[in-house]
Amino acid sequence: MAGVSATTLSLGRLLVPIVAAAVVVVFAGYTYQADLRLVDTSFVTGYVLLVMMIGLFLLRWRKRLSMVPLGRAAIWLAVHLIGGVLAVAAFWIHTGSLWPISVFEQLIALLFYFVSLSGIFGYVIQRVYPRRLTQTGREIIYERIPAAVGELRAVAESLVLECAEKTDSDTLCRYYLETFDWYFRAPRFFFSHATGGARGEFWARHHCGTVRRYLSTGELPYLEKLTELLDAKNVVDVHYAGQRMMKVWLWFHVPTAIGLLILSLWHFLVMNVYGS
Amino acid sequence: MAIATVTRPQRWDSPFGPDMTDADVESLLETPEIAAIDADAFPNHTPVSGILRNDTRIVEAKPGDIIVREGDYGNSAFLILDGALRVVLAPGLPANMLGRQSVRRKGFFEALAQLWRNKDVVEARDPERGLEAGLRLGGDPTSVRVFLQDVPVVLDQHQTARLETGALFGELAALGRVPRTATVFAEVDSRLLEIRWQGLREFRRFDEGWRRRIDENYRRNALSVHLTESPLFENLDTENLDEVAAHTLFETYGSFDWHVTYQKMRAKGAVDAEHEPVIAKQGDYPDGLLMIRAGFARVSVNLGKGLRTISYLGAGDMFGLADLYALWKGDEERCFTATLTAIGYVDIIRVPAQVLAEHVFPDIGEPMDAVAVELERPLEADSLIEWALEQRFINGTKAMLIDINLCVRCDDCVRACASTHNGNPRFTRQGRTFDHWMVANACMHCADPVCMIGCPTGAIHRSVDAGSVLINDDTCIGCGICASSCPYGNIRTVEINDVNGSQLRDPDNQRPILKATKCDLCSDQPGGPACVRACPHNALRRVDFQGEGLSDQWLV
Repeated sequence: MAGVSATTLSLGRLLVPIVAAAVVVVFAGYTYQADLRLVDTSFVTGYVLLVMMIGLFLLRWRKRLSMVPLGRAAIWLAVHLIGGVLAVAAFWIHTGSLWPISVFEQLIALLFYFVSLSGIFGYVIQRVYPRRLTQTGREIIYERIPAAVGELRAVAESLVLECAEKTDSDTLCRYYLETFDWYFRAPRFFFSHATGGARGEFWARHHCGTVRRYLSTGELPYLEKLTELLDAKNVVDVHYAGQRMMKVWLWFHVPTAIGLLILSLWHFLVMNVYGS
Repeated sequence: MAIATVTRPQRWDSPFGPDMTDADVESLLETPEIAAIDADAFPNHTPVSGILRNDTRIVEAKPGDIIVREGDYGNSAFLILDGALRVVLAPGLPANMLGRQSVRRKGFFEALAQLWRNKDVVEARDPERGLEAGLRLGGDPTSVRVFLQDVPVVLDQHQTARLETGALFGELAALGRVPRTATVFAEVDSRLLEIRWQGLREFRRFDEGWRRRIDENYRRNALSVHLTESPLFENLDTENLDEVAAHTLFETYGSFDWHVTYQKMRAKGAVDAEHEPVIAKQGDYPDGLLMIRAGFARVSVNLGKGLRTISYLGAGDMFGLADLYALWKGDEERCFTATLTAIGYVDIIRVPAQVLAEHVFPDIGEPMDAVAVELERPLEADSLIEWALEQRFINGTKAMLIDINLCVRCDDCVRACASTHNGNPRFTRQGRTFDHWMVANACMHCADPVCMIGCPTGAIHRSVDAGSVLINDDTCIGCGICASSCPYGNIRTVEINDVNGSQLRDPDNQRPILKATKCDLCSDQPGGPACVRACPHNALRRVDFQGEGLSDQWLV
């Protein structure tokens, strides 16, 4: 049964790209044949492209209308992804080239490519980052990250103060102020975490190793506890970078898409008034 | 922030029967069943008259009126004051004859209208509504009588038993938090005392006579119903079934308020089979078949210094059948091949081996040895079961399961929940994780909802149609008992505001008025839970841990 289900699932997943590719081929074939007959297809392809872009934009409204039974958002997203790929094909068929000639059309093309590439970027990071976050072994809600950092800092500070009081040595305390205090102030090493690096972990290990040689036997247990806090902070940093990236890309994708839609509608009006 | 005031709700602010009068209470105190109660045994703050006044109501039933329906969840028991009723024996009445109802869901346009009708104020309530509804509705505002149109035909076509004046019924569902096991309807004009389970609990707690009566009824009814429904005994005629019942033992293990024990065990880090009440031990002589009537039990085998959990059993499952069959076939060395322990509160029916040998084994083939099959799995595969049992997630029928390998932490699920629930989400996207699965802090609509234990007004209840655990906001007094009882921390009490955004406070002490809130599975929304629909990555689903819960799909 499991084998049958897996086969059905694979076929189901393949079916959609096959149908999408077939639609592109038929559409491209139609415009090619029409061009051979010297029929102007730019209006037809333009209308199709505009409708597709409006359709793609509806996903945003679906998210806002979550109280209305409009089907599962997962289906909307799948349609959005396939529609996005088809829109790129439709764009090329409509323009007949990768880069149009007039300045206004170049501006539209620029926005179109930016929206498409940011969409692809978003798709990729949404496939990659969740697994990375899972592998940290901890879940943190994005909005609570500042509080989590604050809590870790408070524990770390009280730990080094206790170390100074109990051991009559301020070595760890001074080193904390020179190095770790900065680390516990805010999420750090964003770029490294965003690109899958481990600079934060390396940095913490390096500094623990540096100070270890100056610590007495009584101070070492405090360093061990501090190391645990550094590890916990590193997890928070990974979550911050991953979750922020998964939110920030939309700040570019959505406003650009709105701009593209506005310019496209203007283009549609101008072409319908003067183009014919 | 502006402050508005409203009187803090108290227990018995919302009587079960708003029409109950002092004369009714006086009259009830003279009925033999109530008069026999030792009123002195009740504490001053919970007198018998207070219970009758606030936790009971008088129900007038006409011939054909259905009092309780098989399969429904109910929080009350009934004492027949006058008249006669009929209980329908298995097989029960068809669903259409029972006039089953469902929670009314909003239509498409009603759902759409929430876009502009939803208030900007979070957790906004009409201060007047709660009081009016509480006085008007009492404990169970959804109870609507459905009647059978042709009683003689029903009596002719179905097996029924007669219940007469003085009979008590429905306590099985009311106290055991299980679905009604049979349909009961009025045969003639009848007068009933409906006792909500809080009142029934007090009667049972403080009066020896009622305790004995309820327990005896409980045991007798549970036994007969369970035997009747078991496929193992389906071929037996009434005479043989009666003989089986006569020799069968009824046992309970664990605590009725198991969540308290569980929380203590968790605090000690002792949530494993070794610390659970033993029902049957591996290596012991199998003296009877153990049938689970309610609750959960863990099946484990000895491994090294500990116990390896191989499965868990729920209502309707059996333990020891293969061992008993092997013994009957002549394998005299056969013992229990696994240990059975109680997870929380378990009702067990023990059918003696000699009864099976006489009435069952001659007519069946060799049963599958489930323990042997489970032991073929690699040890690593058991880690999921161990985890689910340790966390007691096996109780969940609609647990929110999130695949955190797919979840992009966009919180669309949280926003969708807030948009359908007063601007405040009814869950938090946090919870305990196993591998890449997270069971989020959302109400799991438990098979055994311990949150319903202790609610003083009965505001938390089972929905009539789906069995979901819901909170009646109008009768909730915000005491927080349900929230502290929930072993999973899935119920929250929230401060409420009026529609203008002013915080509602108790005028006596200026403390905020609270209401308990939790996931209601969007029972009044079209299209099912908004969280599931809103997830763009198919990362979120609701699972039944008894059904698909721990299937191989988890590990894909």
